[in-house]
This record gives sequence, structure tokens and C-alpha cells, in this order.
Amino acid sequence: METLSHLYDGLSLLMGFTPLVVILAGVIVGILAGAMPGISPSMAVALLLPFSFGMSPSMGIVLLCSIYLASNYGGSITAVMINTPGTPSAVVTAFDGYPLTRKGQAGTALGVSLIASVVGGFVGIIILVLFSAPLARMALKFWPAEYFALAILGLSTIASLGGGRWLESFIAVMLGLLLNTIGLDPLSGVSRYTFDFIRLYDGFSFIPVLIGLFALSEVFMGIESGEVNRPPVLPEREKSPWPTLRDYFKLKFAMLRAGVVGTVIGVFPGAGGTIASFIAYDIEKRLNSDPDSFGKGNPFGVAAAEASNSSSVGGALVPLLTLGIPGSSSAAVLIGALMIHNLQPGPELFTKHPEIVYTLFSSLFVANIFLLFLGLLGARLWIKAALIPKRLLYPMIFAFSFIGSYAVRSSVFDVGVCLAFGLLGWMLVRSKFPVSPIVLGMILGTMIEKNLRATLMMGGPALFLQRPLSLVLLALAFASGVIPYLRERKRKKALRKS
Amino acid sequence: MKRKLLLTALALTLVLLAGTAYAAYPDKPIKVVNYVGPGGLMDVTSRKFVSIAKKFTDATFVVENKEGAGGLVAMQAVLEQPADGYTVFAATTSVIPKVLTSKKSVDELVWGFEWVAMLMKDPEAIIAASGTPLNTWEAIAKNALEKKGSQIWTGPAAGGNDHLMAMKVWAKSGIEAKWIPYSTGPEAMMGLLSGQGVAYVGNPADIGGREGFTIVAIASPERSKVFPDAPTFTELGIEGLEDEVMWRGFAMKKASPEEAMVWWEDLLKKVAADPEWREFLEKDGIEVVDYGREKFTAQIKKDIEDAETYLKKYGMIK
Repeated sequence: METLSHLYDGLSLLMGFTPLVVILAGVIVGILAGAMPGISPSMAVALLLPFSFGMSPSMGIVLLCSIYLASNYGGSITAVMINTPGTPSAVVTAFDGYPLTRKGQAGTALGVSLIASVVGGFVGIIILVLFSAPLARMALKFWPAEYFALAILGLSTIASLGGGRWLESFIAVMLGLLLNTIGLDPLSGVSRYTFDFIRLYDGFSFIPVLIGLFALSEVFMGIESGEVNRPPVLPEREKSPWPTLRDYFKLKFAMLRAGVVGTVIGVFPGAGGTIASFIAYDIEKRLNSDPDSFGKGNPFGVAAAEASNSSSVGGALVPLLTLGIPGSSSAAVLIGALMIHNLQPGPELFTKHPEIVYTLFSSLFVANIFLLFLGLLGARLWIKAALIPKRLLYPMIFAFSFIGSYAVRSSVFDVGVCLAFGLLGWMLVRSKFPVSPIVLGMILGTMIEKNLRATLMMGGPALFLQRPLSLVLLALAFASGVIPYLRERKRKKALRKS
Repeated sequence: MKRKLLLTALALTLVLLAGTAYAAYPDKPIKVVNYVGPGGLMDVTSRKFVSIAKKFTDATFVVENKEGAGGLVAMQAVLEQPADGYTVFAATTSVIPKVLTSKKSVDELVWGFEWVAMLMKDPEAIIAASGTPLNTWEAIAKNALEKKGSQIWTGPAAGGNDHLMAMKVWAKSGIEAKWIPYSTGPEAMMGLLSGQGVAYVGNPADIGGREGFTIVAIASPERSKVFPDAPTFTELGIEGLEDEVMWRGFAMKKASPEEAMVWWEDLLKKVAADPEWREFLEKDGIEVVDYGREKFTAQIKKDIEDAETYLKKYGMIK
């Protein structure tokens, strides 16, 4: 009850011209920044950080949180329209979003990704407001052994990602893991495969790799297959390209499930929205009556991916507010913003400046509503991208890919990385290798290695089995990796018999 | 007539030349290059410094972020710019051991800079979780001896400043322990709360706003006014750890104009006396200093010496 009255107070503080304009501006900037490949949510928040210095602490935080929330959605627009995930967490959205667009159902993809983002966003915020204390206690139960097991669980999703191509998926994920060994050793600081080249000390920057593998490889494929000269696919439905309310309603449980998964995984620092979306997507695929349609344009896939990555925003704020520890890189920038206003992030914030905490909560609710309306307005515009002839679109994708890659660290080297991974992606796609396992391997590689070695240093391999949570997660990972394989074998056997 | 013209021209040229030579620094925007991302500690510090500096100068500052390789990318980027004093590197202690462990040339990277302004000294501290029995230095040291080297200490980056501090503490107090690095300091602190490690090495301000932490020892000559319960190493009977700090400061490329370096030294004196700046740092138990080139360079020399000694001793460099 007390929480509700605090929330009401927070909300009433927002009901003025300035706060609403700040939220509106934040949401617009967030959507646009998220849609720009190369600008991740944390960069979007960081870019606008200096603007918040001149504002009151609450308004500054409101602005940054609105950007954070909206940029997580923005990334899905380009993922759906041109197969270029604007943010790392939108990779999974592209799995089914882009095939939908290719089938002439861009409206469905855009609509579902928006509604799922908004629903996921609400789920995350509600869990944040109501359950932050128990979630923080759970986060403290996580040792490196559990982080390792969680990462392995994430990795096990490749069993379903590759669509039955086990060997190819396995090779691709191994490639991702191997690429991750480039750079400084996370535990001893020794440099590996860097050839004394400073730019390689942190390994490959993730965004250029992502843009190369997804966007550029698509362009190369299009040029090779002659698709570049074909007219664009026009929306199929004659009356309206948009899903109906009933269409959305069918996805309700998928969105809620993914929302909960996203929030919970978002709580753990270092895990975040990207892993959450892989796991949520995997769960949905397993529960669906038609798992084979995933990856070929199933709205359930889009809903799971978007709902989970948007809900991870709420999750990432849990450790920030309860322990003073950022749950994601964007949350880390928020800590900087609090510090510059002489505020200490952490539990003290609730006792010393409750108004800031509750304004933040309320602003997330309001920002999510703004996101819904701006998204609906914007979607009318984004869908036009499907009408751009490929001859114009491809050069644009090329230009954006290079700008985006350069923007991450202002480095020409990263542009080269993007191009190289574009070529690699193209060769892999031609040879029927899935590229998403590479991405997954690269996201999880460091997490796996670091936590494996930390656990071994702490108590040896037995620790993985002695800690109940780690044991459960590992068992789940084993099951989710092996069951699809066994089922497939059984099916093939049955086919052969008949 | 001709002579008059010639003289006028000559005079004009002289005036113009004098104009260029004596154009007061700074006559264009100064870039402050950070090696951490926006919102990172040094980024926040640079931005705060710049906002306070504006009280004393009309100069325009542009704070930039060039992340990567623990500062090496930013250092190289600054050294590639002309030595005109318009590109300033925002550094912290951590870049020194970084240069050493990366096997890059100290002469080229560290001494390629003139260290012009050291802003503060943030004492290093050993932090424990309050809720455990091991929440005093005595208990931690006793437990370390019992565990014979398997006690776990945590902090950020391997070979970084905090890891180096841990090595110094182990060497000076005669205990042994293992260092498990986390991606960030806060994650390491979370590990401490959940019982993964026994001690965290950081700075006193790390416990601000967070519950459940105790400073068991602080590496300053006297007790901190903000954290008066934390004993100094000297009080605990450990010598040689009374001035171990994390500093933050500004450097510019060697052979930059003397005028620019003097200007920064003067500016720091003014900012260091500013009440808002003092409040910003002192509330966290940080000592505000206004070291110019001489004292800052002495600090850098000590840092290099220390880093070499301990990184070698614990086998991180040859």
C-alpha cells in the first residue's frame, strides 16, 4: 500500500509540462538511437548523459531511463526491416522478424515487436517495484559456478537455433567461443592472439561483428542471388498490414513468460537482455505447437525476443537500486549520472531520496505508454522501408554499417572488422551454416571462461555439483541441449521405418 | 614613400608575428580524453573538473571518451596528436601497471607524457563484508595463515592498481591469498556480500551508499574523517603502507608549450581551492591535492617502481 502511495506521489511529480517533455524527448531519442546500428542502449544513455547534468537529479534520471527503455525497443526496428539488429539484444528479434518482412508481413513483425516491447517493459517494471528485495537476495546466491551454469544454459539454446543442423551449429558456436579468446586473459591479464596490436586487447568489438554477420552478409547474398534487382515485396494483406487485437491477444502468454524470464535474467550483472532473449526464444520454441516454423517468420519468436529484452531493463535496475551494483552497462551509466549529482546509488537512495526512486519508477511507466503511441506512429513510417528498392537499400545498409561500426570506439579498425565479418557471414550463409550461434558463442564466451576458472580457483570442479542452483541449471542445460537432438533422431528413425 | 611602406609592412608583420607567438593559451577548445566510458569514474571526475574550471576561465573544454585496453588506446590516441597542449589525457593510477603488464614501452607511453596536474589522492582500502566473522584485519590475517594461500581476495582487473595493492599488503603482512578479478569493482563487492571472497581491495568511497560493508584497513597516514572507524595499516602494525593511493590527474604530450602546462597547473590550484570541488571529493574521504609537474612526476616514478617490484614478485611480468 505504501508503495502505491509513493508511486502516486512520483506520478504526480511527473504530471507537468517539463517532465512530460523530458520523457517524450527521451523516448524519441531512445527509439532513434536504438534503431541506429552501432549505438547500443548504453551508448545512447551515455551520449545524452551530459544533458542530464544541467537538470535536477530526478529529471536527469527520468531522461536517461526513458532513453534506456526506448532504445531497447528501437533496436528491433532495423532488425525486422533490414536484418540489421540495431542493438545486440535485437539479434533474436531478427530471427523471425526479418523472415516475416520478407514474406510481406512487415506490419505483423513491427506491430508484434512493439506490443511485446511494451508488455515486456511493464512486466519488468512491475516486478522491479514489487519484488526487488527478494530478487536482489537471489542475485547474491549466484556465485561464479551459477553464472557459468547460466551461460551454459544459454549456450544449450543452439540445439534449437540451428534448425536441425547440429554439426553446423556446433562448429559455428565453437568459432564464436574461439574468437572470444582473442584479447586479454580475463583472469591473468596476459594478452592472447593480439600480436601486440592494442586494438585487439579487448578482443573484437561486438557491434561491428554483429553488423557484419547479419547486415553485410545479407547484402552480399542479395547481390549474389540477383535479389538486388527484384522489386520489393509489397505487404500481403490488402486491407491493413497490421495485426488485429485478436492477433496480439494470442501472444499474451508468450509475452508474459518472456517478460518474466527477461526480468529475472536481467537482474544478474553481466547476463542481461541479450542472453535473456536467447533463452526466452528457446522456451517459446519448445512450447510452441509448430517449432519448425521458428526462424521462418513466427510472430511468437518476435514476441518472445522483444518482451524479454525490454523487460530486462526493469531487471537491471534491481541490483542498481538495492545493492548499488549495475545490472547492465546502461545501468552503469545511470550510476555515473547519480554520482555527478552527488547521489549515492544503492539502498541509501530509498531512505535518503525516496522521491527520486519513485519518480524513476513512475517515469518508466509513463515512458512505456509514450513508447506505445510513438511506436505506433513511427511504425507507419518504418514500414515504408519495405518499399525501398534493394538497389537503394543495399548501399544505405552498407553506409550505415560502416558508420555504426566506426561509432562504437571511433576506430577505423572496427570498420575493417565489420567488413571482414560480413564476408565471413556471407560465406557461412552460402554454405548453409547458421550465423546466430557465432553471436551466442561470442556473447557467452567470456562469461563461461571467467566463471569456470573463478570456480576452479575457489573450490575446484566439485563446486559446480555441490551448489544446488548450479547443479539445477547445468541439468537443465544438459536436457535442453540433448532432448531436441534425441527427439530428432527418433523422428528420423520413425520416418525411415515407415 | 617606398621606405615608409616597407617600414609599415615590416611593423605589421612584426605585430602579427608577436600576435601568434603570444596568443594566450588557450585560444581554441581543449580536448580532455578519457580512457573510460561516459559515466565511468574518471569521466565523471573530468566532467566535474571542467564544470568547476569554467568558474575561473573562459576556455572551452570538450570531454571525449576513447575506451579500450585499459587506457592504452586513449594514451596512444593522445600521443598521436600534436604537442600543442590542446589534447589532454585524463589518467588514473591504473594506467601505469597496465602499461607494464602489456609489455609496452614505459619510456614511450608513460614518459611520452608530461604529468601536469594531479587532482587527488584516494587512499586504498581493504573492505570486508560486515556480516561475517572475518570483518577485522586480525581475523582476516589469521584466517589467511590457516588457509595457507587459498583465501580469496577480490577486486577489478588482474594486474590493476587494486590487485597491486593486494600484493603489497600480502608482502608486507606476510600472508598469502588468491586474487579473483571481476569485470568491475561493484561486481567484486557483490561477490564479497555473497561470500565468494574474504576481502575486497578498493577505496573507502566504495562502501558509500551500500549496506553490509566494513573497511578493515586504510592506507593513509591518519584515519579518514569520513570513515573514522577504519584503522590505518600503521595502527595495525603493518609498516610501509601509509600512503598507497589511487590518484586521478591530467597529462599532456611531452614537449607541449610551457605556457600550456603552467596554465593547467594554475587552473588546478584554483579548482582545488573551490568549495564545490572539495565537497565533491571530500565527502568520499578523498584528499584534494594540487600537485603540479614536479610532485606528480615523483608519484609516477614511485608507481612504476612499485608496479615493477610487485608484478615481478608475483610472476605477472618477467
